[in-house]
Amino acid sequence: MTYANLSMDDRRHRFEVLVLPHLDAAYRFARWLARSSGDADDVVQEAVLRAFRGFDTLRGPDVKAWLLTIVKNCHLTALKQQQRRGFVPLPEEHDVQDGQAMIATTADPDSTSIRRDEERTLDRLMSALPEEHREVLVLRELEEMDYREIAAVTNVPIGTVMSRLARARAALKARWLKEAEGQPHAVR
Amino acid sequence: MQCAESLRVQAYFDGELDALDAAVIERHSEACTECRALLADLDHVRGALRQDPSYGCAPPPALRTRILRALDRESPRLGGMRLTSRRPRPFWMGAFSGIGGTSIAAGIAFFVMAAPLTNPVLDEVVSAHVRSLMPDHLIDVVSTDKHTVKPWFAGHTDVSPVVADFDQQGYRLVGGRADYFDHQRTAVVVYQHGSHVINVFSWATDQRGLPKNTTRNGYHLAFWQTGNLVYCAVSDTAWDELLGLARLLRDSSAPDAR
Repeated sequence: MTYANLSMDDRRHRFEVLVLPHLDAAYRFARWLARSSGDADDVVQEAVLRAFRGFDTLRGPDVKAWLLTIVKNCHLTALKQQQRRGFVPLPEEHDVQDGQAMIATTADPDSTSIRRDEERTLDRLMSALPEEHREVLVLRELEEMDYREIAAVTNVPIGTVMSRLARARAALKARWLKEAEGQPHAVR
Repeated sequence: MQCAESLRVQAYFDGELDALDAAVIERHSEACTECRALLADLDHVRGALRQDPSYGCAPPPALRTRILRALDRESPRLGGMRLTSRRPRPFWMGAFSGIGGTSIAAGIAFFVMAAPLTNPVLDEVVSAHVRSLMPDHLIDVVSTDKHTVKPWFAGHTDVSPVVADFDQQGYRLVGGRADYFDHQRTAVVVYQHGSHVINVFSWATDQRGLPKNTTRNGYHLAFWQTGNLVYCAVSDTAWDELLGLARLLRDSSAPDAR
């Protein structure tokens, strides 16, 4: 199916109905790739615009994989631009801390802060993984895509998807166990 | 040394094998302790990742708006048409799909098209709700315990609203926040319903006449009153779910304002 000859309004409407429901997934994927919310915003916006311009290239029902492929490409482009400018992003961006400083007087029950630590730990472990590991994990475990779709988004053969997934899962587990030795709260 | 079947065990775990191969791998992992352990590990990693709350992060509402504006700018160039007569489609139209979504959208469209009442409080509530969804603006006191949240309000706001946990009914108490509008320090109790945040605002009023339930910018607002305390529950959940919480709160206890 092609949308090339639709009128502008129809085209925009089709786009909103077919593609925008996957905006959440696009944003999540960008968040895990870009590791900072500001960068993720820019990547997603650019990706949606590119998707709209290239709406005619969409074939078949695999809209989500198609959109996430574009997100991934936009992320790579942004990364290249940053490197060219010699811009080094902060390793971890926690806007959170500003907010917490403002509300430092409020009671924060122990259980909650412990749970927060656990979340942080997992985020940190994920962030420390190489990008090719992180992306297959996110696509498989969180977006629940099958190998074929993951292969499409990451632009590698299915065999590579399988071996990367295996290595990524093993790496995450290994880092986790290591973390657990130092911090009793990190793993249940 | 890794078992030669480990990749196929992973494929089995991921639901990528046909029935025949799956049966082979099931039999194999009964015998092979290494592969049994692998299956447990895979399950563990998946469980941890899927429980991680940063996974569920939704795009900030401001981003959605930004994207739709950008699409508006993009539209005329592509088709070579001028869009002077066309109003931009409300952002939430694309967020819904399916028949249910269409009917909800139609319902919201009805509200939006009906001449909006100019009640400044409504605007303030919606702004406060959107503001709360920005990173780390949501909660001042993080607790699922009403006995922690309620006393906190006493020192930080001018009202003392009903705080209750309805985890059983699917509305999890996640915390509280102080907000300022309508010239007073208002209390906000924050609930989580599925992946949606529901803010329950409360403020004192000396006026009669409660604002009607309405929808603004894609957010539903449900109002009720106990004594001189006005409550407003705001969320982008479905109406039924929002009204469900409103009912539970209204029925849950006697008011004690101020």
